[in-house]
Amino acid sequence: MTGPPRRRRLRTWSALGELGRVPSEYEIVTHDTNYTLRTGRSAALEMNPSSPANLWFLTYRDRSPLQAPDWNGFRDPDQLTYRAYVTLQDEQETVVRGLLDEYSDAGHDARLPAAWLKTLALLFTAARRPAHATQLCHSYVAQMAPSSYISNCAAFAAADMLRRVSVLAYRTRELQRAHPTVGFGTADRARWETDPAWQPARRALEEALVAYDWGESFVAVNLVLRPTLDDILLRQLGETARDRGDDLTWLLLANLDLDAARCRRWSTALADYAIAQRRENADVIERWVARWTPRADAAAEALVQVLDRARTS
Amino acid sequence: MALLRRDEWEDLVDDIDWTPTYVDDTALFPDWLAGTGKVPRDAWGAWEVSYKVSYPDYVATQREKEAGVYAVKAALGRSSVFPKLAEGWKTIAKAHFGAVALVEYMGMLGELRMARFGLAAAWRNTATLGALDEIRHTQVQLAVAHQLLAEDPQFDWAHKAFHTNDWVVVAARAVLDGMIAGANVVDLALQLPFTLETGFTNLQFVALAADALDVGDVNFANMISSIQTDEARHAQQGGPTLEILLEHDPERAQWAVDKTFWLSARLFAAITGPAMDYYTPLEHRRQSYRAFMEEWIVGQFMRSLADYGLRKPWYWNEFLEGLDIWHHSLHLGTWFWRQTLWWRPPAGVSRAERAWLAERYPRWEDLYGPLWDVIIANVNANRMETTFPETLPWLCNTCHLPITTYSQSPYDGRWQVRTYPLDYGRSTYHFCSKPCRQIWWQDKDLFGVKTVTERLVDGEIQPPDMAGVVAWMGLTPDVMGDDGDAYRWAEEYR
Repeated sequence: MTGPPRRRRLRTWSALGELGRVPSEYEIVTHDTNYTLRTGRSAALEMNPSSPANLWFLTYRDRSPLQAPDWNGFRDPDQLTYRAYVTLQDEQETVVRGLLDEYSDAGHDARLPAAWLKTLALLFTAARRPAHATQLCHSYVAQMAPSSYISNCAAFAAADMLRRVSVLAYRTRELQRAHPTVGFGTADRARWETDPAWQPARRALEEALVAYDWGESFVAVNLVLRPTLDDILLRQLGETARDRGDDLTWLLLANLDLDAARCRRWSTALADYAIAQRRENADVIERWVARWTPRADAAAEALVQVLDRARTS
Repeated sequence: MALLRRDEWEDLVDDIDWTPTYVDDTALFPDWLAGTGKVPRDAWGAWEVSYKVSYPDYVATQREKEAGVYAVKAALGRSSVFPKLAEGWKTIAKAHFGAVALVEYMGMLGELRMARFGLAAAWRNTATLGALDEIRHTQVQLAVAHQLLAEDPQFDWAHKAFHTNDWVVVAARAVLDGMIAGANVVDLALQLPFTLETGFTNLQFVALAADALDVGDVNFANMISSIQTDEARHAQQGGPTLEILLEHDPERAQWAVDKTFWLSARLFAAITGPAMDYYTPLEHRRQSYRAFMEEWIVGQFMRSLADYGLRKPWYWNEFLEGLDIWHHSLHLGTWFWRQTLWWRPPAGVSRAERAWLAERYPRWEDLYGPLWDVIIANVNANRMETTFPETLPWLCNTCHLPITTYSQSPYDGRWQVRTYPLDYGRSTYHFCSKPCRQIWWQDKDLFGVKTVTERLVDGEIQPPDMAGVVAWMGLTPDVMGDDGDAYRWAEEYR
C-alpha cells in the first residue's frame, strides 16, 4: 500500500452533503433511514422480487399514483425527533394527569346530568374503537410511506391515537364507577357496532383500513376522515361539553386536539409538498378526496345529529 | 377520590376489537400479513404480555432515558476521549453503527406491521410503542455516530452502509429482510422478538456495553445499555405469540425458530465473532466468542426451547462445531477482503494473541495458523499485493456469507472447506452448510436473489475486478478498510 489516503473531514452524512447548509438535529437523525427505499434496488427487500412482501411494496408504495421525484425533501413542520416527541407528550400527559386529579377530587362526575351522560356514553367513551381504527391506519402509512420523514410523522400519529384511547379508557372507568347503569365500558362496543350514529363512520374507517395504496390511505385518513371526525369528536363535542357544564371533558378534548392539530399540520404540508414536487399529484389527491368526502360527510351527518340533540336537551 | 392506578383502567385500552361488517375480515387482515394459518381466529384473544406499559408511563420513562443519554453525549461526545481509545475498539464501534443503526429502522417497519396486522388488540398496542422504540434506536445511534464523523469518515457508514450493496450489508439484508418485513406478523414475532432480540441482540448489547465501559467509551456504553432496556420490554411480544402458535401448529413454530436461530448465528459469527476474538484489545478480552456464545446464547436459548416445549434444532451438533470454526474463517476472509469493509480490521494474530486463541480453540493453530503464516511472510517480504484478493469468494445462496467453513471428513478425518451444492431448475446453487441448503430448499420461493459474486459473474459489476467491485459496493478510497494496525503486528515475526 502507498500509505493511507487523505481523509475527508465530513461535517455531516454524505447523504446530506448536498444540502448547502448545516443540517438540524432533526435531519441528522431522520434523513433517509428506510433502506428499503435505497436507490438502485432491484426490490424493496433483499429477497425474491416476486415474494408477497416485495410485490406489496411494489404495488402499494413504489407504484402508487402519488409520486414525487424526491420524497426526502419533505420536512415535518414540527420537526419532531423521538426525543422531542416523548418530551412533548410527557408534558401533555402531566397536564392531563393534573386535570384528572383535580376533577376527581371535586366530585365532578357525580354532578353530570343524565341526558349528558348518554351523550358521553355514545360519543366519548365509545370513541375508543374509531380512535384505534385510526391508529391502525397511521401505522400502515408509517410502514408504507416513501420516506422516513413521512414514516416518522405517521408513527408518532399512531402513538398519539394510542394516547387518545388511553385517555378515553381512563375516563371510561371513572364514569363507569360513578354511573354504573349507563353502559360506560360495557356497551361501548355495541354502540360502535350498531348505533346508527356510528355506522357511517364505522363504514368509512373499515373501508379506509383496506385502502392499501399508501397515498390513498394518507389522503383518505389524514386529509379527509380524520379532520372531519376530529372536528366533531374533539372540537364540537368539547364545546358542547363546556356548554353543558362538563369542563373536564372539554379540557381533555382540547388537550387531545393539540395532537390532532399537529397531525393536520404535517398532513397539509405533505399534500402541499407532493403537489409542488409534481403537478399531476393535485389531480391524484383530488380524485381520492372526491372518493372519500361523501363517506366522511355521511359519518359527520350521523354524529352531528347526536350533538344537536345534546345541545337542545 | 384520587387518580386511578394503572391496573384499574388499562384493560379498557385493549378493549377495542370489534366485528367488521362493511369489509371482510380477510381483507382487513390478509393472511400473508396476519399469518394466523391453522390458528383459529379467536385464539388470539388470549395474547398478553406480562409486563405492560401504559402510554403515560411510556413517555415519562422514555423522556428520562433520552435525557440521560443525550446529557452524556453532550458532555463526552466532543471531548478528547474517543480519539485516544484503542483502534480495535473504534473498529468495533464503526462495524456496529454500520451494521445496526438502520437495521433498527427495519425493526420499526416490523413493529408497525405487528401494530397494524396483529390479531390481538393488546399486541397491536404493544407494537405501536415498540415502533417508537425502534425509531429511538435508529435516532440515538445516528446522533452518536454523527458526532464522530469529524474523527473518521468511516463513521459515515452508520448511515450509508444499508443504502449500498456492500457484501456484508447484502448478507445482513438477506437474513433480516426475510426475517422481518418479508414475514407475516406471527412468524415475525417468533423470528424478531423471540429469536433475534431475546436470543441474540439483548445479550450482545449487554456484552457490548460492558466492553465499551471496559475500554473507556462511556458514551457508547451508556447509549447501548439504554437501548437494551427498551429491547427487553418489546421483545416480550415473542412469548405470547409462540404460546398460541404452539398450541395449534407446533411444527410451524419449530421451523421459524430453528431457521432464524441458524441464520442469526451465521450473521453474528461474521460481525460479533471477529469483534470479540480479534478486534477487542487483548488486555480487555474477558471471554472468548465461543465461551460467550456457550454461556449466554446457547444456555439461554436451550432454556427458552425447554420452557416452551420446543425440540433442539436438527442442526445442533453442526452449530456447536461451528463455534470453533465459523468466526475464525470469517475473520480471515473479512481481513483478506478488507478493502470491502467500512472499518479497519486488526489482524489480531500477534504472537500473544495467537497464544490466547490457541488456548481457547485447540484446533486454531492447525487450521488457521498456516494461512496466517503465509500472510505474515508476505507482509514482511513486502509482497503486499499477495495479501489482497483478485476477485470475490463464492457466497452461500442462503446466508450470503463466504463459503469458508471447515468441516471434518468422516472418511479420513481431514478438515477442509467444502460447498454443499444443490441442482434446482437449470442452476446449481452453493451453500456453506447443510442447514443453509435445507433452509433454502424449504423456503426457496422467498430466496431467489443473486449473491454479490453471482452478480459479478453475470456481468452486473464492471469492470469485473476488485477495483470495480469495491466501487460498486460504494466504498470510496478514504473509507475502504485496511489493516487496523498498519501491519505493525507482523514485525515481531521477522
